[in-house]
Amino acid sequence: MNESEKREKQEFLIRFSRSSSVSAFRKICSKILRKSRCAFLDAEYKPVKYGGECNHLKLGKYLARLKSNPLREYMLFRCNCNKICLSFPIIQGSSVYGHVLFIHLNKEPRKTAIDSVRICMDLALKEFQKERELNKLYETIRPRAIALSTIHTIHRLLSSTLNMDELIERIARLTLQVMRSRHCSIMLMDESKKYLIPKAVINLDEEIPKTGPQYKKIRLGVKLEGRVAKTGKAALSRNSVCVPLVEEDIIGVISARNKTNDAPFDKFELEILITLAEQAVIAVKNAEMYEEQEKMAYGSIKTLAALLDSKSPNTFTHSDQFVKMVLAIAEEMKLPREDITNLHYSALLPDTGKFSIPDEILKKPGSLSSAEYDIIKKQHLESLKIIEHLEFLKPAIPIIRHHHERYDGAGYPDGLKGKAIPVGARVMAVANAFEAMVSARPYKGKKISIFQAIKEIEKNKGTQFDPEAVDAFIEVAKKPEFKNILGASA
Amino acid sequence: MKNVKRLFKNEAVRKILLFFNENPNCIDTAKGISLWISWDINIIQKALNQLVEEGIITSHQAASTTAYAYTNNKEIVKKIEKHVKSMLK
Repeated sequence: MNESEKREKQEFLIRFSRSSSVSAFRKICSKILRKSRCAFLDAEYKPVKYGGECNHLKLGKYLARLKSNPLREYMLFRCNCNKICLSFPIIQGSSVYGHVLFIHLNKEPRKTAIDSVRICMDLALKEFQKERELNKLYETIRPRAIALSTIHTIHRLLSSTLNMDELIERIARLTLQVMRSRHCSIMLMDESKKYLIPKAVINLDEEIPKTGPQYKKIRLGVKLEGRVAKTGKAALSRNSVCVPLVEEDIIGVISARNKTNDAPFDKFELEILITLAEQAVIAVKNAEMYEEQEKMAYGSIKTLAALLDSKSPNTFTHSDQFVKMVLAIAEEMKLPREDITNLHYSALLPDTGKFSIPDEILKKPGSLSSAEYDIIKKQHLESLKIIEHLEFLKPAIPIIRHHHERYDGAGYPDGLKGKAIPVGARVMAVANAFEAMVSARPYKGKKISIFQAIKEIEKNKGTQFDPEAVDAFIEVAKKPEFKNILGASA
Repeated sequence: MKNVKRLFKNEAVRKILLFFNENPNCIDTAKGISLWISWDINIIQKALNQLVEEGIITSHQAASTTAYAYTNNKEIVKKIEKHVKSMLK
């Protein structure tokens, strides 16, 4: 028997002697054999370290002298103290791993008792084998299953955003978390395919400014990231790991540096980063497609607005300042990204509903008669049919339709009240009123100062306007950027 | 962070900390974590919220998913690791 075999057998015996199956075996055997102590000896009759007490150490030597027995069977013998002892070989496959020894039995056991002990021993061994298998599964499969579940969770987190900046930042944060690293960077290839542009650089030890040197572009082939992007091969070293983001071509790289516990990165972590990178590529591609779609949608709306403007300038569309104001209020109210996008579309075509309204009513100074008011209500709905065929504009229609509603229910076209009015429409109502007051629209009468307009909006909080939208508007008005939003009209 | 010993007195918190100490790379939902440690999801959710407040667990929120991960704070991780080791002695 060579050294490694010896060690393996000894380890098996130590684990077996300490297993829960053996403690049950001891109890049962003690009942069968009537008060006895149990000890373990290795294949060479040496007492097993930690393997339970063996006060009768000399017994091993004594037993060794009885080696004539091929040790496939039990041995019943009297020890040096002239007391009865029983020994059983522990057999696994074709080899003897050791012996279990029952010391100082009260009397010589019957054959049936010995057989019962043997059966118990076989059961204990089988139970122990099962325990070992389960432990093996626990040690090998469980970490993999947890890693798989982590990747699945990451997929869910990444697929829940289509905003590129948010997505890249999220990929970086998740990479830091999964890799247990202090530094992570994500770089995407530029259009020329000659440089990598850092999109997110996070260092747990310091804030990295977007204007800092870490955000400088890297030429392909230079530095770790550049080399990985050039060769397309992942790189693993003690303190860094970098993998390419590959779709059909290489679109960028993710790298992690310096583990939080200063341990080296290993192959398992490299594997995880490769899988994470695969998830990241899908998410980045989806976000890119969404950005392109948004650009197309934005272009279509701009074209439509230009067409409407060519019919009657500033009647169906509002100024850029109006769009900025609407978006600033929405951001201040922390509306969901999707709502803000729809609000953006609506703000570009706020008065499409006026399209079929006759000019003499549209441009009439002063108040309208009830008949004229009825025409406005009817035509407002008719006009919206122009845009309902554009699928991406469908969520914007309720905003455009209801932005003339009043919070107290006295508005048009449906007389909706309070929260029944879409939130986008409530936001747009505030911006619309503000713009009307500070600009000189031909049919809106006298222009008033910005300060007066803000006061007027505040005065109508809760009656004409949604209080939350007014509060957000006031907050926006307090900010220094407010002047930039107002631009020339300030 | 509260005294580590005191944190470990809560059984759900102890199980979560043992789990993350063993699997620091893991990111999972409350449901996932409750499955890994075979514990009631509501109790786990409550314990996770407590640990997020303590700064031991980081939460990643996105739309309908909230995922939890172990802190990257070296000191906190060390303290917990030390306590786990002393428990196992």
